[in-house]
Amino acid sequence: MDLGSLLTSTLTDTLEVSLPLFRVELALSATIVLVLLCRMLPVLRWLDSALVALGGVAFALWYAWSDLRGLPGSPWPAVVAATHPASQELFGGLLIFDSLTAYIRFLLAGFLVLYILFTKISGIPDREDGADFYTLVLGSSLGMCLMASANHLLMIFMAVEMASVPSYALAGMLKGRKASSEAALKYAVYGAGAAGVMLYGISLLAGVLGTCHLPSMAAELGRIVGDGADSFYVADSAGPIMVLTLGGLMMAVGLAFKLSAVPFHFWCPDVFEGAAAEVGAFLSVASKAAAVALAVRVAFGLGWLGDAADASAAGLADVRHFLVYLIGLMAAVTCTLGNLGAYGQTNMKRLLAYSTIAHAGYLLLGVAAAVAMLGVDPEGCRKAVTALAFYLGTYLFMNLGAFAIVAVLRNRLRSEEIAAYAGLVRSNPGMVVAAGAVLVSLVGLPPLAGFVSKFLIFSSLVEAITKGIERPLMLVLLVIGGLNTVISLFYYLRVLKVMTFDPPPEDRVAAPAPVWLPGALVTAVVVPVVLLGIFWSGLYAYAQLAGTFAS
Amino acid sequence: MNIVVASAVPLLGLITEPVSVAHYLVVGAILFVSGVVCMAMKRNALGVLMGIELVLNGANVNFVAFASPYLQGEGSRSLGLDGQVIALFVILLAAAEAAVALAITLNFYNNHATVDVDRADDLKG
Repeated sequence: MDLGSLLTSTLTDTLEVSLPLFRVELALSATIVLVLLCRMLPVLRWLDSALVALGGVAFALWYAWSDLRGLPGSPWPAVVAATHPASQELFGGLLIFDSLTAYIRFLLAGFLVLYILFTKISGIPDREDGADFYTLVLGSSLGMCLMASANHLLMIFMAVEMASVPSYALAGMLKGRKASSEAALKYAVYGAGAAGVMLYGISLLAGVLGTCHLPSMAAELGRIVGDGADSFYVADSAGPIMVLTLGGLMMAVGLAFKLSAVPFHFWCPDVFEGAAAEVGAFLSVASKAAAVALAVRVAFGLGWLGDAADASAAGLADVRHFLVYLIGLMAAVTCTLGNLGAYGQTNMKRLLAYSTIAHAGYLLLGVAAAVAMLGVDPEGCRKAVTALAFYLGTYLFMNLGAFAIVAVLRNRLRSEEIAAYAGLVRSNPGMVVAAGAVLVSLVGLPPLAGFVSKFLIFSSLVEAITKGIERPLMLVLLVIGGLNTVISLFYYLRVLKVMTFDPPPEDRVAAPAPVWLPGALVTAVVVPVVLLGIFWSGLYAYAQLAGTFAS
Repeated sequence: MNIVVASAVPLLGLITEPVSVAHYLVVGAILFVSGVVCMAMKRNALGVLMGIELVLNGANVNFVAFASPYLQGEGSRSLGLDGQVIALFVILLAAAEAAVALAITLNFYNNHATVDVDRADDLKG
């Protein structure tokens, strides 16, 4: 191939295939540039950066929505007929566009719209810091979009770092606060350490497998593990398998850090307590959705090669078996320790941090079920991914609602301690009802959204059990998940008990804050929590679409 | 020539053998372990950040070694250009990460008048 035809084919691939499916990220990048430009030009300084960011994110949301709608099998009566292929590698295999990518991007863009409105109303950041704050948030979200679509080890690492590095700075956004600077330092040190370990693991995996492209890696992995014969490196196969295991575990460290899964969760409570509630909302919702998507991507990418039954298929079954046990163990420990850690917390943000850890555990239960059924039972696997996607959709509203309530109450009570919420029902009955809906939904009780999503996760575990796939492990995971739901009941309800039954403190000063705007915000976020518990078929249809990516 | 990743005495043979990927991997591993130890033992936040740089560079040595076609045995595939490109990206990213981490350390110093990570103990529970 001569240079000319190489250039032509690269250009065609980039301009005609990749860039049109990359519009969401392009819109986010353009928004970042615009926000910074508006700050720089004296003519545009009067423009509020929240408005600029909101406008750009609205474009991103529209693009994400039309990408999702243009997929084949979309439940929306397509205005334009299915315009995208079901799965398309972008930029020479660095990224992949499929229904999971489209769904997570849509979720992230939708979250950003709500989030910018939320930060605008709650008052952090103030106008002076707005440009910095939204640049960091949008940059981090850009990394999260890439996490959801990564198909190459380089992209996985770059996306994780792109999502992390701005969030370190976000955690330290409250300048002059001791707790905030401490949170940022801890987050940066833990995060950079985890990323370094992950990169070393990636280098081992890439070196032994001789490629960084996930599907090619899976083929090579299946060959090495499967026939046990010599790979291109060594005569005996124990060596490479050992190195691969080590590399895989080191890579799992980085992913577990992003998911705040035990034992890499130490940063989470400290960062959530030290940073503003607004930053906590961003880290707990957006970062989690992207990390789950990336975990699914990596586990599916390394564990499955499509239906082609060749020499590598048996080897990949072993790989999946290993992955299921790794993820399942992590899930069980994460939800148990997350729920136990939440007991005895006196700070609401810290309690929500442990709740986030516990929910990461529930999500990992779903990932374990999906990986267990991958390739063995395609229908069940699709359902498990659907459950995960649905869970992420409802979790967005639940946790955004929880943090919005914390932020609004902070503005009113000047405190984030649970004790300060005592007797709130007498002065702010509406806020307590909203908090009740969110917290009960986080427990997972009907008729709220949290119940449906938790039910879907557990039912995919049951499906694996009834079909006899990894039965002992799935049974253990189901029991642990059920027990955890019961123990989580107490600490969530304790908050409600303090809000309703305890007498209000004598010295409470109700800040004269405008009531209707924060009230409208909380209502807008909490109403979907209730509605999705009853009318869940709409979101479920899109989650089902996301579930088709594995087939 | 094969690289025996896990033979009985893995490092002894390296002295007599011609330079291969394994030699580079040993350097990378030493850098990585030094970095991890530095991260775990240093109390000064700047020392911890230096440890992180060592870890990233340990991985980078691996990438570059795996990328080189001259170091591989016969008939084997090297990582090729991918490895070198990753190394370049990592160098860039390490710089960006160091910039953010140093700014955060400075902010911590402004509030605590120290860069001792053990003094970051207000948040716990």
